[in-house]
Amino acid sequence: MNGRAGSDTAGPGLAAARYVLNALVVAGGVLPLYILAKQSVTPELETFAWPPHWMPHRLTIAHFASVFEVSELRSAILRSLGVAAISAAIAITLGAMLAYAMSRSPITRSTGFSTVSGIRLLPMITVAIPLGIILATLGIYDSPSGIGLALVHAAIAIPTAALTMYASFAAIPLEIEEAAWIDGASPLRIFLTVDLPIARTAIATALILCFILSWDEFGFALLVQQTNRTLPPLLYYYTVFGNVGPASALALLMMIPAVCVVVALGSSLRGALIAGTSR
Amino acid sequence: MNAAAKKLRTVFVLAPCVFMTAMLLLPALNGLVLSFDHHGPSLGNYRILLGDPMFWRALANNLLVPFGSVIVEFALGLALALALTAPRKRSALIETAAILPFAIPEIVILTLARYIFMPRGYLNGAIAMTGMHALPWLSPRSSLAMLTVIFVDAWHVTPVVMLMLMAGLQAIPAELYEAARLDGAGTLATFRFVTIPMLMPAIVGALILRGIDALRIFSTVLVLTGPEGVPVLSTYSYSLWDDAQKPQEAMAASMILALMVTLIGVGGLLFARRYSRDNGALK
Repeated sequence: MNGRAGSDTAGPGLAAARYVLNALVVAGGVLPLYILAKQSVTPELETFAWPPHWMPHRLTIAHFASVFEVSELRSAILRSLGVAAISAAIAITLGAMLAYAMSRSPITRSTGFSTVSGIRLLPMITVAIPLGIILATLGIYDSPSGIGLALVHAAIAIPTAALTMYASFAAIPLEIEEAAWIDGASPLRIFLTVDLPIARTAIATALILCFILSWDEFGFALLVQQTNRTLPPLLYYYTVFGNVGPASALALLMMIPAVCVVVALGSSLRGALIAGTSR
Repeated sequence: MNAAAKKLRTVFVLAPCVFMTAMLLLPALNGLVLSFDHHGPSLGNYRILLGDPMFWRALANNLLVPFGSVIVEFALGLALALALTAPRKRSALIETAAILPFAIPEIVILTLARYIFMPRGYLNGAIAMTGMHALPWLSPRSSLAMLTVIFVDAWHVTPVVMLMLMAGLQAIPAELYEAARLDGAGTLATFRFVTIPMLMPAIVGALILRGIDALRIFSTVLVLTGPEGVPVLSTYSYSLWDDAQKPQEAMAASMILALMVTLIGVGGLLFARRYSRDNGALK
């Protein structure tokens, strides 16, 4: 008895439905990847052919070459990496503090939880337009380093980071901290030398998630880095202006970090992925 | 230990909350003030919006598209969660394929969707192969374009809904199914009287989170149809800011969206709180 969905007692109808579902899942997940891969290695003329080619007729590496030759593209890759790294570093630092505080007292828990929930209600566009004005006043709007964007990404990633780490901190027995206290360690030192090492798996997961969150983020990047673009807005412009080949090559490259992580870590990332949705 | 630890906790909770507030809430409040600035303080920007037919289309779409998208992703997400939670049929390949659309960056999904749904794209190519007529999947202002947007939006986030519901399904004790089976309940009855009630907390939680996200829809619409094909409040506001260079009106439009999300979100949270108190299942 498999129990959960009550399915192995079900008739052939349900089994057939499951095969259809599986086929749809594979089609929905894999077919698009194939199309993207095909477009990235075929000449653009072929991509615009009608009827569309399902198999590539001629192959080219020109699009991938252009990704590394065109300076706009190269700098966008570096900028995306930098923004993601800086924002992830800030987000897990502040996120770990928040998660730890939330795991240790009901008052800090409710403060943290209401801030996080409240922040979640703000639409990107409501924040991004006036934020652009503020960043311009500070002189970091559209900066080549992307520092303004990194700060916003850090802010939107803190809830993800904190929720990912919260359970690990909450699971650490207070007796361990008390033992360290009796040995004369200050609360800060206890946090740094006792709690952080115990929670390291969750911290690593949070770091990866925050990195990907920034790497994938489109809305703020589009509005805050208008000319010094990161990869998602650059891909958008390539797509809209019909540069199919480079767009497809770029899209494939953009998927590498996230897909590696999901395939490699799979189920251990699940809970964290759930916490980490954002738009 | 208490005083020092309490001080640490206070610092630890304040630093991130202040940072988030400064980066996200303060700009929004600044935008709120600026949205009332129309050659001096006035309601002028809002009055202009109310006179713009595009605003009303964006407002209506901003209710219809998220609603449709949430329905589609819950139907698909639940079906997938049920299929994948059955232990014997579990397949790592299928599971990975199911999560894949979420692992792919949203913008990549949308780029792909554009190539699939464009007039001479892969979908119409496939339809033409069967001898049927190609359809204008993304033609501006059509209800077909709205359905396409809903489908693409749902396609990307279905894995999230699936994972949330799977977590809920796995938390249901096997004894309940055993008891239902001993009582002679069939597949449907078990689903109706065991699975669904036990899954309700997960469903309510997922609905609120996904509902809030769905209301903020932006990139799906922008990439697939441009700001005017199936306008929603985010893209309407974006085009006022970017194309029309009217930042104050753009901020007014974005404030109406924020108000809408807040009302629906707070309503949802209050409902969930009452639901969990009445049922004692949600924490």
